[in-house]
Amino acid sequence: MSISSPGPERNPSTVKVDKTSGQGKPPAGGAKPAAKAGGGKPGGGKPGAKGKGRKPVTPVKVSGGRSWGPIAVVAAVVLVAVGIIGFGAYAAVQGGKSWEDKAADIKGIVNYRAQKNPQIDSQEHKGGPLTYVTNPPVGGAHNSVWQNCMGDVYTEPIANEHAVHSLEHGAVWVTYKQGLPADQVKALSDKVEGKDYLMLSPVANLDKNVALQAWGYQLKVDSADDSRIDEFIKALRINATKEPGAACSGGNTATGPVTAAPNGTSMNK
Amino acid sequence: MDTDTDPDAAAPAASSGDEPQRPTRRRWGVGWIAATLVLGLVVGATLGLLIPHLRTPADDSVEAGFLRDMSTHHAQAVEMSMIAHANSTNPQIVTLAGDIALTQHQQIGYMQAWLRDWGLSPTSSQPPMAWMPDSAGSVVNNLMPGMATPEQMAELRKATGKDLDIQYLTRMRDHHLGGVHMAQAIIDSSDDEDVVWLAKTMVSGQQSELALINQMLAQLQQA
Repeated sequence: MSISSPGPERNPSTVKVDKTSGQGKPPAGGAKPAAKAGGGKPGGGKPGAKGKGRKPVTPVKVSGGRSWGPIAVVAAVVLVAVGIIGFGAYAAVQGGKSWEDKAADIKGIVNYRAQKNPQIDSQEHKGGPLTYVTNPPVGGAHNSVWQNCMGDVYTEPIANEHAVHSLEHGAVWVTYKQGLPADQVKALSDKVEGKDYLMLSPVANLDKNVALQAWGYQLKVDSADDSRIDEFIKALRINATKEPGAACSGGNTATGPVTAAPNGTSMNK
Repeated sequence: MDTDTDPDAAAPAASSGDEPQRPTRRRWGVGWIAATLVLGLVVGATLGLLIPHLRTPADDSVEAGFLRDMSTHHAQAVEMSMIAHANSTNPQIVTLAGDIALTQHQQIGYMQAWLRDWGLSPTSSQPPMAWMPDSAGSVVNNLMPGMATPEQMAELRKATGKDLDIQYLTRMRDHHLGGVHMAQAIIDSSDDEDVVWLAKTMVSGQQSELALINQMLAQLQQA
């Protein structure tokens, strides 16, 4: 970037501060955010700035007025260039963020995938009641039938064994402490109803008012109005799938625990 | 180009004070050319990095809104069709339901893949239909036009025989009408070739299915 031949560096920089009290300001202002965003990318802006300070004040010459034209052009070009560079850096940083990075940015989120816990990572199908290492569960062996997660709002607890299978399909499972005030439950169901890859259900023994689960991720918050709920849903819904293309429809729509049948497929439909 | 501008005169330390104009001018020229080249390089490189992003729709584009919402809309058509496919005893219904389920599930795959190609999230926190002009009031409880309510879905799951067939066709007719409306809106507002192509196939395919559904409904309701 910084090909520091004295000519190019000096000219734009001189233009920016020294000479042009009028046009010089915008580029200088524009240069600052860009320098922050681009991490020193705009080679033209900064190094030159040092040179300026050192330069003695030149005698005011009448002929100086004649250079306004090129100065204005350069100032405009520099402004545009800095703007493009700044925007480019910003877009690259923002656009380059993976969903994992966006999830990691959510304060209080727990990434269980990072723990490499075989009990959570297992995608095995098993029948009957199963035990999970977290409450609510975020992964692990599960029933062959998934819980319907087409924006379904369940008013009674659902079986973990089905719900975990929904997480595997890419659903975000929103849960709340059973007995949460109706207005809080309403706020949650407004976020869920009618949206595929989402479902809502109460949990009897939850340690926080609201807990959100995706495969390998969990976030617990105190209030249904917490802005991190939307962030979690946006970052992880569908993205966290272990089986891209797997549906949320065709699942179990009943509530209550799984039956202890040896082959484990509890009632469906 | 001026001869007597001090920024330039100050540049080479070794320059003798009173020079003829020409060398000065030449120094100007070299400086400007170098500056222009550097700037050009920087701008060019930045544009090169940006252009792939500029050429695909952005996170708040109508295309992204359409692909996300239509994925959700389609998913419910798949759900209803799978129920009818599993529970109906009418071969015509079983065939139609299987056709709709497979087609729409595959189309969800197209739509999700494009979002992924564009580096966009498969979902957004925008309310449904926010991308569509004049869509105010068309969304009830997050349900887009033509979508069945949770109560209607529960009824469909319980239904059997002719009742199931009529329910399925009725729900599917509403669903297609809403879907065609959304697809036409994106055809009118997008110039993305892929998206417009897919939306046009949705319009033509679902309109011909609507004709078939109406015909089947008339038969069933007479019988």
